[in-house]
Amino acid sequence: MTVRFTLNGEPQRCEVPPHWTLLRMLRDAAGHTDAKHGCGEGVCGACAVFLDGIAVNSCSVLAPQVEGATVETVGGLDRDGDLHPLQAELVASGGVQCGFCTPGMVISGIEAVRLGAAGSEAEIRHSLAGNLCRCTGYGKIVAAVGAYRDGEATGVDGDGVRTTDGAPGAAPAPEVGIGP
Amino acid sequence: MSGVEVKPGRRVVGSDLARHDAIEKVAGRTVYAADFALPGMLHARLKRSDYAHAKLTRVDTTAAEALDGVVAVYTAADVPRNTVWVDVPGQTLEVGALKARSNVLADGVVRYHGEPIALVAAESDDAALAALDAIEVDYEPLPVVDDAERALDPEAPQIHESGNLLAHWELEEGDAEAGIASAAAVVEDEYRTQFIDHAYLEPEAGVSWRDTDGVITIRAATQVVEHFRDVARILDLPDNKVRLITPYVGGGFGGKEDMTVEPYLGIVVALTGRPARMVWSRQESLQARQNRHAVRMRYRTGADADGRLVAMDVDILSDGGAYALLSALVLLYSTTCAAGPYRCPNVRIRARTVYTNHTPCSAMRGFGGMQVALGYEGQMDRLAAELGVDPLELRRRNFVERGDTLPIGQPLETTVELPALIEAVTERLEPPPEPSAPRRAVGRGFACNLQPYGRCVWLNDWSSAWIGFELDGTLVIRIAVPDIGGGQASSLIQIASEVLGVAPERITIHIGDSALNPLTGTTTATRQLYMSGNAVLKAARDLREQLAGVAAELLEVEPEQVEFGAEGVSVAGGERSLEFRELLAACASVDVSWHVHATYRAPKGVPWQADESWRGRVFPDFTYGCHAADVEVDLDSGQTRVLRYVAGHDVGQTINPQSVEGQIEGGVAMGLGYALSERLVFDEAQNLTGSFAQYLIPTAVEVPEIDTVVLESGEGMGPFNARGIGEPPIGPPAPAVAAAIRDAIGARLTELPFTPERVAAAVRAREEDADAEG
Amino acid sequence: MYPRPFEYVRAETVDEATEALASAGGEARAIAGGQSLVPMMSLGLASPDVLVDIGPLPLAGSERANGSLALGALTRHRELERSDELAEQVPLAAEAARYIGNPRVRNRGTLGGSLSHADPASELGAVALAYGGEVVIAGAEGERRVAIDDFFEGFFATAVGSGELLTRVELELPPPGTGHGFCEIANRADDFATAAAAVLVTVHDGGACAEARLALAGVADRPLRCEPAERLCRGETLEGEVLDAIARAVVETAEPEDDAFVSADYRGRAAAVCAIRALGDAARRAREGQE
Repeated sequence: MTVRFTLNGEPQRCEVPPHWTLLRMLRDAAGHTDAKHGCGEGVCGACAVFLDGIAVNSCSVLAPQVEGATVETVGGLDRDGDLHPLQAELVASGGVQCGFCTPGMVISGIEAVRLGAAGSEAEIRHSLAGNLCRCTGYGKIVAAVGAYRDGEATGVDGDGVRTTDGAPGAAPAPEVGIGP
Repeated sequence: MSGVEVKPGRRVVGSDLARHDAIEKVAGRTVYAADFALPGMLHARLKRSDYAHAKLTRVDTTAAEALDGVVAVYTAADVPRNTVWVDVPGQTLEVGALKARSNVLADGVVRYHGEPIALVAAESDDAALAALDAIEVDYEPLPVVDDAERALDPEAPQIHESGNLLAHWELEEGDAEAGIASAAAVVEDEYRTQFIDHAYLEPEAGVSWRDTDGVITIRAATQVVEHFRDVARILDLPDNKVRLITPYVGGGFGGKEDMTVEPYLGIVVALTGRPARMVWSRQESLQARQNRHAVRMRYRTGADADGRLVAMDVDILSDGGAYALLSALVLLYSTTCAAGPYRCPNVRIRARTVYTNHTPCSAMRGFGGMQVALGYEGQMDRLAAELGVDPLELRRRNFVERGDTLPIGQPLETTVELPALIEAVTERLEPPPEPSAPRRAVGRGFACNLQPYGRCVWLNDWSSAWIGFELDGTLVIRIAVPDIGGGQASSLIQIASEVLGVAPERITIHIGDSALNPLTGTTTATRQLYMSGNAVLKAARDLREQLAGVAAELLEVEPEQVEFGAEGVSVAGGERSLEFRELLAACASVDVSWHVHATYRAPKGVPWQADESWRGRVFPDFTYGCHAADVEVDLDSGQTRVLRYVAGHDVGQTINPQSVEGQIEGGVAMGLGYALSERLVFDEAQNLTGSFAQYLIPTAVEVPEIDTVVLESGEGMGPFNARGIGEPPIGPPAPAVAAAIRDAIGARLTELPFTPERVAAAVRAREEDADAEG
Repeated sequence: MYPRPFEYVRAETVDEATEALASAGGEARAIAGGQSLVPMMSLGLASPDVLVDIGPLPLAGSERANGSLALGALTRHRELERSDELAEQVPLAAEAARYIGNPRVRNRGTLGGSLSHADPASELGAVALAYGGEVVIAGAEGERRVAIDDFFEGFFATAVGSGELLTRVELELPPPGTGHGFCEIANRADDFATAAAAVLVTVHDGGACAEARLALAGVADRPLRCEPAERLCRGETLEGEVLDAIARAVVETAEPEDDAFVSADYRGRAAAVCAIRALGDAARRAREGQE
């Protein structure tokens, strides 16, 4: 079947069978390998992407469910070659070792800050609980998310307020805040 | 001491340089093994055994081969040489007991659940998966051995013709029985550790192709590019017709030390001529790749009235699983480290590892040297309680020192900073917090350890590197080092930059290619910074010397007066200078080359002999550590929360502090998973832990903030006197947590992991005892 | 690995969905968020022949009427967790939702999907039992209503028959003076509950318990209400010895089985710990609400 969606701002058209997951479609049909296949069962978080502005495990979404949707991956976050602020914080903090969990950490960290779920270190840790990392012990990643939150809070378009989807049935959350 | 003196006031060594690979990784641009693709490539998958021990009475691939898109289905008979030899490639013939073999594809018998039986190559991954379902396998189940003690029973089914005893090491120094008899206090206990998985985030993967020169090329996630030789042996090709490339690897921890996808990728490309990709699922990675050995340890430890150790009697039995792989070597690490960082005049160690039908066990971070920490540190805590001495004070009275010898005969030639580490770690601690709620108890525990870095000395280990300038003054390092996430490559840039002055961003490093880069050995055994670092340091110094001679003539000074800076060389604080471009042109005119190839050779030693009287040096050197854990135990649920953790190690000299902290923090997190939640669960050797929902590595919630204490003694055998730090931090967490739980609840747990269920049972038993007494 | 091939049907209306489910040759499953189903398919634990995507159906939204709150089947866990409005009306659901999977699972998983999937360790299963009420199930014959108490029938089995679809959940809203409590014991964050308890306690003016609802997850083949414990609560201040009796009642009601990771004995004890703690929180909140 044909699945049409927007990927990092560009229209995409993928011919895939319906049993392919979004992750598989991104990697093997669209040629975007920045979302990683770490477990295929929605546990490790390495495949996280934004789907209509909301973070999802792309291994747990079927390709046909993406018809007409907007998908953003970690590779689409930089602006004019500059890293997204959270990406930059992760590099500076030493929060990247093998790097395989990193794309998912970036997506989750951005969403946590956007939802106001990164207020304290404990909150950040809970927000990242679905992103497994085997290299770093998490501390430097948690610190990077905290530094990103602080930077956002002082920015003009500070995004560190609690947002909700509003009443059930309302339109999905606004386009994901991917930094200034 | 083979360390080299360096001038004070370093440029980049010891500074938090952002890693070049981190920028690519965070942007999602790094092309990991599974991210690579070639036009027309086939998709390869393995049919694995449903049984832990069975005869294969029929393997029928005809239906699978007939499916649309299926190109080939191979079984053992199709593999040119169906044997994986595990030895120490090319560096020594003295491997004896360390040599092991297993099958590429099962040949008539399967010996563990998940053992590969057939290899499918298909035009699509969906076709490959369909083919797996269509392969018909008839099994005749054989009796299963799923317990190490039982494996030694003469009546037990024999898994291999050689018997179930895979390897053993025995030694006695002094007279352990007499020592025990003379001791003022003797404590005895049994400790058990579990099977665990490396659980790196990147499952095993690779792509293979036949290059235009006919060389079989495999680009795969591995810690060992030297496996090109093992693949050549399997394919019955000359070594120089196979090339292994390893891109940046998504975690290794020993799990990508033995081959994973490499032989299968080699077979498909060799037999079909077409490129192929193989990616293992998380589930098969958990189910069928080698694990950490489960170990049962019995310790009897005696001390005199002053708390000085007088005797230790250690019996180690490890479950090696169905094939030998690196089990004998892992057991040697256990044997070497069994007494811990403690002096003891009378020591008996008996260590055995056996075959069972469990998934084969092999290398994992800590490599046999870490399981025993639960034993030797548990004994120190018991002894302290028995003698009424503070546990840290008891340790202080017994620490080894420079000049001492471990029971196996290992001399300790560098400083042992354990007393300083205890002091530094203790200083970082705050008073233990009050319990957060009723029915919670808080406790604190400490643990110390030693862990070797570098390979066994008789393996004649060496590393080599090539460094050269480009004509524009940029620098290139060529070295076949696999970077598995620890900053293996970026540390080498830092070392080269330190010596040659070239700014790190003007250095490019080409890594992980067995054909085009100088071989530097495996990224295992905490050897890469030590070995490759020394090779790059040597190469950089040689190159500097070469260039300094030419520069000195041009600048009319002595070579020692030439200073190397970011853009070029200068003298007397920049009064006269030359850009690198100018200097290189000058070199060309006088036939001095601007590149060097250098080899660093590790200290050598006499090979271990299968003889109880053998004593000698096993490893180049050790890294020591002291950790402290504060925990809170929920007395009703048994849940243990680590509140605070301090981890201290003497690393000799940091090359990149952030990377050192990263290794320590990551090692502690992995150690806490080992202590509290991780285990592979088998039922009659069927691996039931086939998913990441069942195999519980710690999340950001379970891992506390980890405070690292990095002590720089200035002594170590690596570049700039660094010690290795990859493996050492994995040892102390389990015994530190055990001690902290003991402190909190008054009961001692000796079997890992300390699950809520086990802790709750210990609390209940303790409270019932107290009720009975009350 | 990956889900195996299936026929995919995208339903735009409830009728289309139930027709597709009823007419499918072989096993048909509805998929909404897919946060349990897709991983199970990837693990080879489910391989339906037909998947009916109910994502486009107008089954989100909430409506309050006659002392109950109707929640559309496509209400996402994220909404339960993060909507201030829902947190005010069904705070027990809001608290329990935080324990479901990880944030991305909650972003996509749905209430209807969770209840229909009927994992024995389902937090929302216990929550639904604690509130009580009815579910609305659509089928070829139109809609039918089933009491939540009768909804869970066994191991991953519910009152939703083949060709049917759960469309709405109507939770009974407890009277003022009610507090909630939720407690879960798991081996790790983002792990299935070893045991969990969802509790609502309504107190008299004097502070004693007038009514209690206590449901458990993880300790039987399905989420389970614990009526013996509820009876013990009534008229009590939920302190002292009655708690021991309640804990015993929980252990006796639970029907856990040994598995490879946790013993039945521990699950039962853990359920009792959760129940007592959740009761304590609920009673405290109920009293605070009255002050």
